[in-house]
Amino acid sequence: MRPFVYTRVDDAAKAVSSAAANTQASFLAGGTNIVDLMKEDVARPTELIDINRLKLAQIRLIGEGANRGNIAIGALAKNTETANHPLVRQNYPLLTQAILAGASGQIRNMATNGGNLNQRTRCTYFYDVAMPCNKREPGTGCGALEGINRMHAIFGWSEKCVAVYPSDMAIALAALDATVKVQGANGATRSIPFAEYHRLPGDNPEKDNTLQPGELITEIELPKNNFAGKSYYLKIRDRASYAFALLSVAAGLEMNGATIKQARIAMGGVAHKPWRALEAEKFLSGKAATEANFAAAAEAEMKSAKPLEHNKFKVELGKRAIVRALSMAMSGGKA
Amino acid sequence: MSERKKVIGEAVSRIDGFMKVTGTANYATDFPISNTAYAFLFKSEIAAGKVMDIDTSAAEKVTGVLAVVTHKNAAKLTPSRGLRGGGILQDNNVEFWGEHAGFVVAETFEQARYAARLIEIKYEKAAAKTDFEKHEKEAVKPKAEDRADKIRGDFASAFQTGAVTVDEIYETPIEHHQPMAPHATIAVWDAADKLTIYNESQVVNGVQGAVAQTFGLEPKNVRVITPHIGGGFGSKGGAWGHVILAAMAAKAVNRPVKLALTRQMMFDSVGLRQKNVQHLRLAATKDGKFTALAHETTTHSAINEEFVEPCGDVSAHMYEVPNSRISYRVAAMNIITPTYTRGPGKSTGSFALESAVDELAYKLKMDPIELRIKNEPAKDPSNGKPWSSRSVVECLRKGAEAFGWSNRKAQPRANVQGDFYVGFGVACGTYPARQRDTSAIVKLTRGAGANVTAAIELAASDLGTGTNTILAQTAAETLGLDVNQISVKIGDSALPPAAGSVGSVGAASFANAVYEGCLKALNELQAKTNRQYFNAPTAAELLDAANLKFYETRVDAKPPEGTDKYSSHSFNANFAEVWVNRSTGMTRVKRFVAATGAGRILNPKTAHSQIIGGGIWGIGMALHEESLIDPRYGNFATRSFADYHIPSNLDVGEMKSVFINEEDKIVNKMGIKGIGEVGIVGVAAAVANAIFNATGKRVRSLPITPDKLI
Repeated sequence: MRPFVYTRVDDAAKAVSSAAANTQASFLAGGTNIVDLMKEDVARPTELIDINRLKLAQIRLIGEGANRGNIAIGALAKNTETANHPLVRQNYPLLTQAILAGASGQIRNMATNGGNLNQRTRCTYFYDVAMPCNKREPGTGCGALEGINRMHAIFGWSEKCVAVYPSDMAIALAALDATVKVQGANGATRSIPFAEYHRLPGDNPEKDNTLQPGELITEIELPKNNFAGKSYYLKIRDRASYAFALLSVAAGLEMNGATIKQARIAMGGVAHKPWRALEAEKFLSGKAATEANFAAAAEAEMKSAKPLEHNKFKVELGKRAIVRALSMAMSGGKA
Repeated sequence: MSERKKVIGEAVSRIDGFMKVTGTANYATDFPISNTAYAFLFKSEIAAGKVMDIDTSAAEKVTGVLAVVTHKNAAKLTPSRGLRGGGILQDNNVEFWGEHAGFVVAETFEQARYAARLIEIKYEKAAAKTDFEKHEKEAVKPKAEDRADKIRGDFASAFQTGAVTVDEIYETPIEHHQPMAPHATIAVWDAADKLTIYNESQVVNGVQGAVAQTFGLEPKNVRVITPHIGGGFGSKGGAWGHVILAAMAAKAVNRPVKLALTRQMMFDSVGLRQKNVQHLRLAATKDGKFTALAHETTTHSAINEEFVEPCGDVSAHMYEVPNSRISYRVAAMNIITPTYTRGPGKSTGSFALESAVDELAYKLKMDPIELRIKNEPAKDPSNGKPWSSRSVVECLRKGAEAFGWSNRKAQPRANVQGDFYVGFGVACGTYPARQRDTSAIVKLTRGAGANVTAAIELAASDLGTGTNTILAQTAAETLGLDVNQISVKIGDSALPPAAGSVGSVGAASFANAVYEGCLKALNELQAKTNRQYFNAPTAAELLDAANLKFYETRVDAKPPEGTDKYSSHSFNANFAEVWVNRSTGMTRVKRFVAATGAGRILNPKTAHSQIIGGGIWGIGMALHEESLIDPRYGNFATRSFADYHIPSNLDVGEMKSVFINEEDKIVNKMGIKGIGEVGIVGVAAAVANAIFNATGKRVRSLPITPDKLI
């Protein structure tokens, strides 16, 4: 890899100020993605700011009054620890399932929650520096648009980029309406609703998210919900483990007797960001939880899909996946 | 053999297992060589054309860089026939994407890798043939004689009049070997004309010869050292360009040089299994007697290097069929040369043949096992020779029993378990059994306390399959010693020449040489004493009788005469149970049984590992593995393990291996037929047939991914 400066910081303020001082710097947390990208010459940071000493690994109850029961998961908590934390297992089993569906045990032991949100696409054209890629090198074109695009987007893509966002964890976070807490220069903090954290490629696919330069994720907050018992993360992939999703669905159902009070559906492997299936959610609101309604909701959602040459199957697969994830959620995860 | 304590055929644990799990076994670049420099390759980023200019100035300025070598300053060499894949910088032609364009040598690996990033190459592009679908029609008859059309009887009219027929195209994609240990080489020039290569080589003497000829050296002045191999599957059979470039680099900087390929480089540096389009036509009478079989393969090879794997071979030997036609057509393309890949030709060919047999059985409403047995040949149909042994029927019967075949439902979608369709499938496989010339030295030493030890020396290789162990067992039993009294020295071209660990010839060639060498030592010692023995004497008794502290002998073992009057092959029957998710199309092989008839099994423990290893790769072939080329560039778009999938633990259920007790007194003295290749043959078809039985979907294009099943 290219030579770089290694800087270790002890607190968030120093991390942010170091990053602000060098626009070519990257944070180093678990290193499971940035180190690979540097070896492949895809990422070329001139400085790695090691944030592993920051005290951001807590998973805790937050909120007062009506919000009592919300939790915050630290940006530096490991994926494994997060998935297995009692607060998460009990109240957000959807998140546990999604995290455990991703990567491998070894990688999850190293990978952090903040890093998970910021992992970059696995598009093969992005990863191969001999190929054109607007995300890696703006202006070079999109290799996948007319190339091999079986794994690529069917929603929200642009001529500039058809890549998909790879995280499983983030698909659950999208369904859970999480909030991303970030710290910027001069100690300023802000909260970003999850739906606004990642972005569609548009004309600037080099930007995966709406973080400002130098901003650091400190925590991810999860509001309490009423569908812990009726949620399911379905991941469809080419092999049973250690593979990115062809397509995934995070589903949660809040019931009011026999009718659906609220449905939450987010999809992975279909877009440049976690794709909230708002059409399907809208359709299901107030309806009975029947397979016919699930199928109609899936139909409504997938109507706007625009597949590419090699991923036409994702439209049918998406319909099936929504129906199955909702059915599994309804039965409490049991087939 | 004499009345001895039985060691051959016992489940002896690997004698090198402790070294391997404790990390003390030296693989290619593990050797601690002082003053080593590191080479890192850079590769062409076009598929056809010429390198017009290479700007190396930025790379040369990097700290630690010792040399940058391109075709402009590379040593002039004489590429040998044994060298594969080109890329040794003798001219500026580019024939495939990723052909080596040069290398940087530096004090550290990291410096060399960084400097290689800074190389700027200007090309003159030519039209590249990278799209198989487009160039398939340009395929012509191969030059290789053994790939000529093989015709028996009158296929056309027999097929036309067949009562029941199958006429289908079966496709298998490009696959890569990708052994656990990527290829790597250390080259050390001991003198201007004397070279030592540390390399993982399946064929020790083959690499020695190829390197010697390429550098114009005497073969005896090239020493290849390869004590352990981290898997090869055919990709470590020949000498590839990087082996030559490591030696070239060492010469350029006058120091030992280590050169290791990255995982990504493994996709365009060391061969591949080519894409095959197989047209299979099979006809039978109403009661299931085969009458006509055509197996016609279209494939691709490199622009200036022909390699065509023999997909039609299975069809030549498996079934009694009076009218047959086997042919190959090959298109020269701008893709790195294909090479031997586990079960070469047979694993891919059996997918076509054994799928077609299953399709025919379904049409005939016959059990696929009974259909196969009905067409069992008494002699090898390809040449009329008798079999030295053949256990296909036993494999099918015993395998069916071990698997529980009787619970199979003949109709698809008849076995539903919750969200899953469950299906059973069967398919057979075969691979030739051969012994190759191999020499061996046996050294007997009588030490303190009359403890006798034996050293066995030959230039064999151990792919990780247990060769060291089976040779120790062979020597121990033959000499009447314990396994721990035997030391096995292999993987060094300075030792007596041996066959390679390729084409399932290793065990038969090496073990027979060791067996004969040990017998020779015993006979020669016996001639030195007057003592008479009631039971065959042990090496210890004979050394004692001859009053010798040390004895050494050498044997040059050859296949027994007359074996060519017989047809010798290993055979198997594979059984798979698959569970296919009805809504997602995700498939899991829940159970797998391989029944194998491969002559004498030297070590059931290592043999079991090898067979289930083949089974797992076969599952990968059926469900996961596929290398995709972007035809606009000619590069592999699937160039990491994130994109090129092999089975994970969760994909593989219970794996079982059953061996048929087969005594073959003809194939060679020890009755060994070989198991390395046959383990994968037939597996993909068994899985695909099980998927049909589960879902009613016949997928004729591998791999069978979820999108093909929804």
